[in-house]
Amino acid sequence: MKLNSFRRKSPWILHYNAGSCNGCDIELLACLAPKYDIERFGMINTGNPKQSDILLVTGPVTKRSRERLVEIYAQMPEPKVVVSCGACACTGGVFRGMYNCEGGVDQYIPVDVYVCGCGSRPEQIIDGVVQALAILEKKTKELEGSVKLNRNVVTEGAQVNRREVAAEIKTI
Amino acid sequence: MDLIIKIIFVILAPVIGGFVYGAERIVRARMQRRIGPPLLQPFYDVLKLADKRKMIVHSTHAFLGLVHCLSLWFALAVLVLGGDLILVIFLHLLSTALLILAGYSTRSIFSHLGANRTAISILTYEPILILIAVSVFMQTGSFETSSIFSYGQPLLLKLPLAFVALLLILPIKLKKSPFDVAEAHQEVTGGVELEFSGIFYEAVYTAKWLDEIFCYTLVYLFGASNPALGLSLVLFAFLFLNALDNSSARVSYKQMLRFSLTVALPVAFINLLLSILQHVV
Repeated sequence: MKLNSFRRKSPWILHYNAGSCNGCDIELLACLAPKYDIERFGMINTGNPKQSDILLVTGPVTKRSRERLVEIYAQMPEPKVVVSCGACACTGGVFRGMYNCEGGVDQYIPVDVYVCGCGSRPEQIIDGVVQALAILEKKTKELEGSVKLNRNVVTEGAQVNRREVAAEIKTI
Repeated sequence: MDLIIKIIFVILAPVIGGFVYGAERIVRARMQRRIGPPLLQPFYDVLKLADKRKMIVHSTHAFLGLVHCLSLWFALAVLVLGGDLILVIFLHLLSTALLILAGYSTRSIFSHLGANRTAISILTYEPILILIAVSVFMQTGSFETSSIFSYGQPLLLKLPLAFVALLLILPIKLKKSPFDVAEAHQEVTGGVELEFSGIFYEAVYTAKWLDEIFCYTLVYLFGASNPALGLSLVLFAFLFLNALDNSSARVSYKQMLRFSLTVALPVAFINLLLSILQHVV
């Protein structure tokens, strides 16, 4: 019995509205309501980045909200996944190219699952979150794996230059 | 034999508390016509939190969270193993005070607000608990909880108003709606528990279960001489709390304070006067 197999069973969601029209937020809250009831998968909508695993973002990220989005993302402890909900969050939607926003969440933070639709239906959101769980498990395994340093050690005088030793950031 | 059962109960208290919390989430979901999470959900949460990377604000904050859980466990042990009721109440107060200190030790405004509100909720339930303890003393002649177990007849029949007063403050103590200003997930996102993460949040999370076990043990004391009566009282309190939690909206801390000082405190006080009268006559 491994500890991280329980991660799938208790994903806590952080919901952030980055300038959405509230259409997707209503659908998201409908997931918590009796008809769709995502609490049966153990999901709780916490308002707290420090205790949550999945960041659900709705809305085209406006210039007012982007700093907060990045800050919230930075405050979530690893492992974490990001789900962008709705057309605006994925691409910018109808707001793409406007003066107050740039196209979508992935301009600022890495996104793992894109849920389409305007506004995305609760079934789609549940499906997206369940796919995010698989990615969360994969990320956990990657975190636990050993990292091979792919560069030779560079010394400056007697000291090791740590920045040169560090592994390169993998691009997904 | 009795002592061994009590010691096992104290040691297993977090596990039992987890089952109670899981059952509570199912009951709450069924009351809203949802399916609800599985019974073992709190344990899944805890195992996940144990595995999650922790972000510590500073070491004192994390330490206070751990000590909060341990001191609450100690208070429960003193209560179950037959210690002094006043001592138990003050140990519980100490554990809550540690959490409040943890809340004030960060710079987060939500944490401060939660600590303020927790301090106010102490102000609302602590006098009533003391009055109940004093009226128990008037009946049994001792502050020791072991004397309640060996009293012979259930305290519920002797002190019905004390039980009512306890039921009125239990939602404040367990942070249930309508008196959940201290936690208020939509408003201050958990209050004092906001800045805890990873395994340190797990300590605070477990402390919540211990708090439930603590409160239900207090309820059980009212039927302690007859285990069937005690357990049915606990079941009644459990259903009452969850129904109340589901059917009511949050009130502000001023309304909570007013309710406690004008309804619950007089009930406890009348109960004390009646027990003194009984004692004199």
